[in-house]
Amino acid sequence: MSNEKKKDFEPKDIQHGIWNKETISEIDYKAQYGQHRIRGCGATRYMPTFNDIMILPSQLSRLSLDTYRESCETKTILGKRGASKPLEIETPIMIAGMSYGALSKEAKIALAKATALTGTVISNGEGGLLPEERQYSYRQSIQILPSRFGFSKRSLEAADMLEFLVGIGAKPGLSGHLMGSKISEEIAETRQLPVGIDLHSHPRHGDAFGADDMVVKMEQLRELTNGEVPIFAKIAAGRVRDDVKIAVKVGADGIILDGAQGGTGAAPVMATNHLGIPTMPALVQAVRTLEEMGMKNEISIIVSGGITDGSDLAKALAIGADAVAIGTGAMVAMGCRVCLRCHNGKCAFGIGTQDPELRQRLDIEEAAERVANYIKAMTAEAVLLAKAAGKTKLRNLEREDLRTLTLEACAMTGIPLVGSNFVFGERFGFEC
Amino acid sequence: MEYIDAANLKSIELNKEIINKLKQCGEVTIQNPHSMHNVATGLPDPGKVIIQGSTGFYTGGFMEGTTLLVEGNVGWYAGDNMMDGELVISKNTGCNAGTYIYGGNIVVYGNTGSRVGYGMKGGTIIVCGSAGPWAGQMTLGGKLIILGKVGSKVGESMYKGAIFVRDPEAGDKMGSNVFLDSIKADEEQELKSLFARYDITADPAEFKVIRPMQTGRHTYVLFDPDLKPELSRKMPV
Repeated sequence: MSNEKKKDFEPKDIQHGIWNKETISEIDYKAQYGQHRIRGCGATRYMPTFNDIMILPSQLSRLSLDTYRESCETKTILGKRGASKPLEIETPIMIAGMSYGALSKEAKIALAKATALTGTVISNGEGGLLPEERQYSYRQSIQILPSRFGFSKRSLEAADMLEFLVGIGAKPGLSGHLMGSKISEEIAETRQLPVGIDLHSHPRHGDAFGADDMVVKMEQLRELTNGEVPIFAKIAAGRVRDDVKIAVKVGADGIILDGAQGGTGAAPVMATNHLGIPTMPALVQAVRTLEEMGMKNEISIIVSGGITDGSDLAKALAIGADAVAIGTGAMVAMGCRVCLRCHNGKCAFGIGTQDPELRQRLDIEEAAERVANYIKAMTAEAVLLAKAAGKTKLRNLEREDLRTLTLEACAMTGIPLVGSNFVFGERFGFEC
Repeated sequence: MEYIDAANLKSIELNKEIINKLKQCGEVTIQNPHSMHNVATGLPDPGKVIIQGSTGFYTGGFMEGTTLLVEGNVGWYAGDNMMDGELVISKNTGCNAGTYIYGGNIVVYGNTGSRVGYGMKGGTIIVCGSAGPWAGQMTLGGKLIILGKVGSKVGESMYKGAIFVRDPEAGDKMGSNVFLDSIKADEEQELKSLFARYDITADPAEFKVIRPMQTGRHTYVLFDPDLKPELSRKMPV
């Protein structure tokens, strides 16, 4: 055979399996720098999601609601276990904690304004509370992080809700990263850091080493907030059953459960892709645990990590969540295209940057309106599904309304496969 | 002077009582604290509180302006997140004394455990005895003064602030991303006045100062082990 002919048989159109562009890019990076890669956003690998679940519509066995003429309540109350002033929001969608530092001032203000337009709550994230965020937000959640950058007694006074943060889904067990390109003079001042330093904060709280300490710490926080403000434990999904039990013991009013699909401004690829468990099975495990403890009605669950639309919201509520938190989705609504480069501080859309010129590209009012529209539309999507399932309240969605599409989702959730009553694995309250 | 018997009170009840009494007379003594946790949490006003006995975790946490004297030992996290005021402890403390403090002065006349001044952002902590490992880890500001021996990894990854040490071996016990420096004249003066205020006998000129590197990048053990194949090649077969 001639050499010309042989060329036709070279393996040019063959799938590369594990040797895909991402694998090669990762090896190239390590070969070049001798270090792991740090980048923005969350996991890029496949993980099971709420898309593997279907909602059963009402037909002869149930009466549906008129999508266009009958109401479905979305008002949500969170953290009523021990707080005298539980958080009341108009839709069960909160803006997840994204720091001033990871995000520009303009992006934080836009997100805060979006909460005022929709009647929901925003979390400040790591690095202190931007005064404008508090000024414009409808309700303000304050995170208590191991780093405590910009955190003080004043932060507690500004809170409608507190989050004692133990970990986030994008990098559980790790600390915060903020690359030097984002530590501008303003950010450095807020966090009391030197300008331009690459920040790797600490993953453990300096004032609560373990569950027993946290019981006492929780009493301290209750006293400081006059018992009014709901206190959540924010945990990354891992050993969910154990962690939820501890959060209950500690005295938390609720749990923010961040699944492995959760995003961040900068994290090692190893962490985003290989630490933690996905949001959907994590939520099931949390709900199961609270039910076993007889605490499901007392402890609120907010779930986050890969929440994109109203169907995710509806399914999460049906499984047992009280609300969801959106981070990346809200950024996309502002213009983010998920380029995974939040870490370098050169966000072309003025969202994940501190560069004064790039920041000008984000129109605060327009971005606020787009995020508000996204939240409204997501709520309306969930309401559409709930009404079709015959619910007058969004929170009335229940797991009996769900069926799983795949064996994998069935085994993870204990929800029967579509078209059957069979469950592979641990059942989730379904009778045969 | 008012007195409160804490024997049958919960910490939240005790603290309310302290606030009430301070408003009335400005000075209150607590008896029978029985190592209670969360004593003097977030006290908001100036005044003087004397605790006759030892206290547990989080003593004086988030305190803002009060002078709190503990005539005994204090457990973990003494004065955590303190905003202002004074916490003066006559004996020893457990670990993480002065964690995350913003301001005010904490004085420990005895020894303290590990991670004293962890993540402190301001204020001053004086330890008259010795301090455990990781003292002043990741500090963001303020002054940590240790008169006795220091443990290992002192000053690890501090970003701002200064750690004043008298231990002649402190230079061998430092964490990463810091360096040992001489004390400046104004710092000597400041220490002198602090020592006079708290009746501490020490010569500021004997102190060295651990300061943060300002290189823009910290080095971390994440990048250990530092593989050195050339060494293994030289090893005899």
